Amino acid sequence: MIYFDSAATSFQKPASVAAAMWEALAAMSSPGRGGYSAAARAADAAFQCRSELAEMFGMKNPEQVVFTLNATHALNIAIKSLVPPGGKAVISGYEHNAVTRPLEALGADVSVASAPLFEPEAVTAAFNRLIVPGTDAVVCSHVSNVFGFIQPVEDIAAICRSRRVPFIIDASQSAGVLPLNMGALGAAFIAMPGHKGLYGPQGTGVLLCREDVPTRPLLEGGTGSQSIQQQMPDFLPDRLEAGTLNMPGIAGLLAGIRYVRRGGQEKILAHEKHLTQIAAQGLAAMPGMRIFASPGLRHQTGVLSLTVEGLDVESIGSALAERGFAVRTGIHCAPSAHRTAGTLDTGTVRVSFSDFNTPEEVARLLRVFPGALGRAF
Amino acid sequence: MEHYIILARSVTYAQRMQKSLGRAGIRCHVFRPPRDLTDMGCAYAVRIAVSDLPGALTALHRDGLDPVQIFLFQKGLYQEVEA
Repeated sequence: MIYFDSAATSFQKPASVAAAMWEALAAMSSPGRGGYSAAARAADAAFQCRSELAEMFGMKNPEQVVFTLNATHALNIAIKSLVPPGGKAVISGYEHNAVTRPLEALGADVSVASAPLFEPEAVTAAFNRLIVPGTDAVVCSHVSNVFGFIQPVEDIAAICRSRRVPFIIDASQSAGVLPLNMGALGAAFIAMPGHKGLYGPQGTGVLLCREDVPTRPLLEGGTGSQSIQQQMPDFLPDRLEAGTLNMPGIAGLLAGIRYVRRGGQEKILAHEKHLTQIAAQGLAAMPGMRIFASPGLRHQTGVLSLTVEGLDVESIGSALAERGFAVRTGIHCAPSAHRTAGTLDTGTVRVSFSDFNTPEEVARLLRVFPGALGRAF
Repeated sequence: MEHYIILARSVTYAQRMQKSLGRAGIRCHVFRPPRDLTDMGCAYAVRIAVSDLPGALTALHRDGLDPVQIFLFQKGLYQEVEA
């Protein structure tokens, strides 16, 4: 199988990730649950992972790094910490259901800063119009999971800072690929998965929390601290980490983070953009093809959506799967993004890359694509 | 053997203390203190040599890591001391 669905999860991982997970299973129990060596090893690994994440994302204090199950979990904590039932939120036109469903469940009054695809200035202008004092939170995906569109979170953060409105960044598609500095942005929260651009295993996620922002636990339970008290601790990370941590996952995530830091985010991004460019150019030459690409990929990462005139996206995905290619088709859990881009009725085929893909794999995709469509191009 | 223990609010906080002390050249050990030293339930602490206390407090203060409580272990007993 040639895997082009890394925007969902980076299926191919560095060998060090599996090795670290195996070691965790063999040698680690649970941090904060004892003074014996297996608990101490687990605590060391968790602390190391928090510390490296804090360094990577411009934070001083590793206690503000909270482990979650995934980015959805992290976003739920962030949103429900800031937006009360019936509260007011402003979101971009490219949000995932991980943002829109929690807001819907809260009955929030949501304004959508809608703007055309690959026009960051228009995104900033839309947010500028909608963010007003009294807004409970602004939520924006750094990169659209459907189109790879890089949204101007730095500019949106500046607006939020000037109007004293808390800002939540969904870094699901950008963590490990684009630089993000929590301190410089002044965001209230940054949520991210561990299993995409950070190359950790599935079941890992991270919530970065600014020190002065109040947090509301989604779960209550044991934390290994202040055990007699019946309220959750008022300090992080314990306040948001009830129950036993996923130590194999965290150990694997630490190995993934080290892989990214060793290789360099810039090099990984350049590689993925190079593959995207080859794919976009090759596919665009095929009749009936509509490619969603920013000119020169200036505002885009290694995520490429497409449609083919007259063909259902699911049938394209199935035909490619039969030929050994893994791509994602449909709405990608982001109807809001499709609505904004005008593709809600059709959905798209999404091809997304990781550091493990090669130009040869893209060339193979371009060779089989016409046949997979059952059409003579 | 006489030593001081510095209580932390959580294992992560104790690890931050350990890192801070390490940067100051002070060796310490993270461990779970005796149950009767805290009325909050499960706790973690760092243990340091008696001679290291002034340097340890300076380092912790510099890094914004205030001790929850400090105890001197002497003649088999723990006695709380002022920070």
